[in-house]
Amino acid sequence: MIHILTFALYALGFALWLRLLAGGARTKGATLASVVVGLAVGTHAIALGRFWLQYGELPLVGPGAAFSSLAFVGGVTLLLLIPARQVARVGVALLPFILICQGTALLLGVKPSGQVLAFQGVGFVLHVTFAFLGYQALALAAAAGSLYLIQHREIKAKRMSRFFHFIPPLATLDLLGKVGVWIGFVALSLALGFAWAWTLQNPGVLSLGDPKVIWALLSWGVFAVVLLLRRGSSQREYRSAQASVVGFSVIFGSYLVLRLFVDGARFLP
Amino acid sequence: MTTARSLSAALSAPAASAASAASGPPSDLAAGLPLAVVGVSHRTAPVEIRERLAFGADEGNQALLELRGIAGVEEAILLSTCNRTEFYLFPALDRRGLAAAEALFQDRIRDVSLPAADYLFRRQGEGVVRHLFQVSSGLDSMVTGEAEIQGQVRDAYARALELPADPPMAGPVLHRLFQMALSVGGQVRSETAIGEGTASVASVAVELARKIFGSLRGKRVLVLGAGATAELMVEALARDGVRGVFVANRTLERATPLAERLHGHALTIDRLAEALPAVDIVLSSTSAPHPVLTTEIFREAFPRGRRRPFLLIDVAVPRDIDPRLGEEPEVFLYNVDDLQKIVDEHVRIRAGAIPAAEAIIREHADAFRQWYSTLEVIPVIRTMRDQAEAYRQQELERLLRGMDHLTPEDRARLEAFSKRLLNKVLHEPTTRLRQGVADGGGTELVEAARFLYGASEEPRNGD
Repeated sequence: MIHILTFALYALGFALWLRLLAGGARTKGATLASVVVGLAVGTHAIALGRFWLQYGELPLVGPGAAFSSLAFVGGVTLLLLIPARQVARVGVALLPFILICQGTALLLGVKPSGQVLAFQGVGFVLHVTFAFLGYQALALAAAAGSLYLIQHREIKAKRMSRFFHFIPPLATLDLLGKVGVWIGFVALSLALGFAWAWTLQNPGVLSLGDPKVIWALLSWGVFAVVLLLRRGSSQREYRSAQASVVGFSVIFGSYLVLRLFVDGARFLP
Repeated sequence: MTTARSLSAALSAPAASAASAASGPPSDLAAGLPLAVVGVSHRTAPVEIRERLAFGADEGNQALLELRGIAGVEEAILLSTCNRTEFYLFPALDRRGLAAAEALFQDRIRDVSLPAADYLFRRQGEGVVRHLFQVSSGLDSMVTGEAEIQGQVRDAYARALELPADPPMAGPVLHRLFQMALSVGGQVRSETAIGEGTASVASVAVELARKIFGSLRGKRVLVLGAGATAELMVEALARDGVRGVFVANRTLERATPLAERLHGHALTIDRLAEALPAVDIVLSSTSAPHPVLTTEIFREAFPRGRRRPFLLIDVAVPRDIDPRLGEEPEVFLYNVDDLQKIVDEHVRIRAGAIPAAEAIIREHADAFRQWYSTLEVIPVIRTMRDQAEAYRQQELERLLRGMDHLTPEDRARLEAFSKRLLNKVLHEPTTRLRQGVADGGGTELVEAARFLYGASEEPRNGD
């Protein structure tokens, strides 16, 4: 029930951000939207805490629990952006991803994995936590990148529309994208390092041909490409924004493909 | 400075003749809300007249002090901006206050053949409330919805407060009126599109720059030519933190004066390709008959394309910047028509917000009227309570006189009992009286209360 309430609060927060977008430059309601997102994150923390107490394991293993935790990291990220008022408007692009994660968690059911013995220890917890942080940072970079592309198009087309007034400046979005990709790259690198250490402790649990290992390495490669594109000589900011959006789509598109064609029980998020 | 002649002439004029100079029936002033405003604005007078009727800070203060006491005027505030000069007066019980303010204006013209009254507007009663709310909301501004007026209304109120006058020039009624005006202005701006977008070419340029670069602190701008519009834009950008300014012209002699005014560097146009990579914004307004910034120069400046966003604003006619540059990645090129189209669109959006803004203003004007009407009943309530309190003390004293055996505690208990009883008896009529007046019961209800409680008419105040 509390997970449904969390989803409803995120959905309400998203609706309020959309209302702000429809209002153009006027910012009335920004505080309410921020409060609702804060409530959603608070409720989410309680829900995940209850899961931990109830089942004796962190909600990191098992698709439903993992998706919910991924959504939670997204919520916390957005909450951290709220004090920087204009920057927080990136929530209009980030909240759909949070909603998809939390919605998927509800559909799959937030329940324990039943694999507690294999998936435990500080190394594993750090691996999953850094992985979530990495993917959520890329989601943030993609959200900032998508808004960058819209704003760029508006200014290029000489339109001072509602989008123009609502979306933060190009330079702000570029900075957010840059920070997101760098944090994501470092976090995912650490996640892979902890995963490698964990496989050493638990030999035979994973092989290089395992779909989630392939996916994790593919994700790391995508991050590296996005970062390389930032160093390009022409249209650096524009290409970076495009790369963040495409990279994010590749990672989560490939995840869906692997989920569809590979045994779901073996492929944990 | 007002001469004694003009003021005394205004004061000695019969009320009827003063009334003929002002618009509206005389009864407007005496009945209801005795507020008045007289002034000049961009709607009633051209700039040549407005500048002659404007008051400097000291002159304005002096004028307010002179108005105080004329025909019972207790409170006065002067709102003086480049587009308006207005005296707000309370109470304006007859036309003499208005006539005195008009005399102050006439005195500034110093030319009897040019009657100031022809350029003045006057409002009385609730019209004053609506007018000030419209002014603070930007509905009466030259550029609808502009926000600067809000600060100017606040300053006018603050200046009146600071005047060494006892009681203060901004007394309870004008205090309430101006505070509400500021609040209404804020509400109109936040709840309607009246301030949406920017409404001048220079401010559109600044807004564009902000949306591209975020903070403009440390950004560099190159000015081509020495046009006035480009200069205005640079000044607006400089207020936002733009620091490095380069001015390019055909010769250094032509570039130097503007560069000096803008605290920038002068250069000749043949060094354009060299300067472009160092700047973020180009403002162009030369009178050259052909493009000054061509694709060839751009390619020379950026052989591998521009890495970061580049804002080019071309306000020259014929255009200075080759329009094909607008197709280059990372280049945002706006000409004067593009900017004007945006301004027109903003003006259209703002105009569409006027009905919603007027609705907010009407609602608050009603609230002010209700608040004011409750002031009328305060002296009656005070009299009623004073009389009842006197009776209570009198009767209590008489009762206690024959009861010497009572302990001090018992006496205190009786005293408290009598106070509680009095409060309970008076609570209902007091509340109903206030509510009835606020609901529009007005004069009849107050008169009835005066009759019932034998309260004589007292001057109103907002305490």
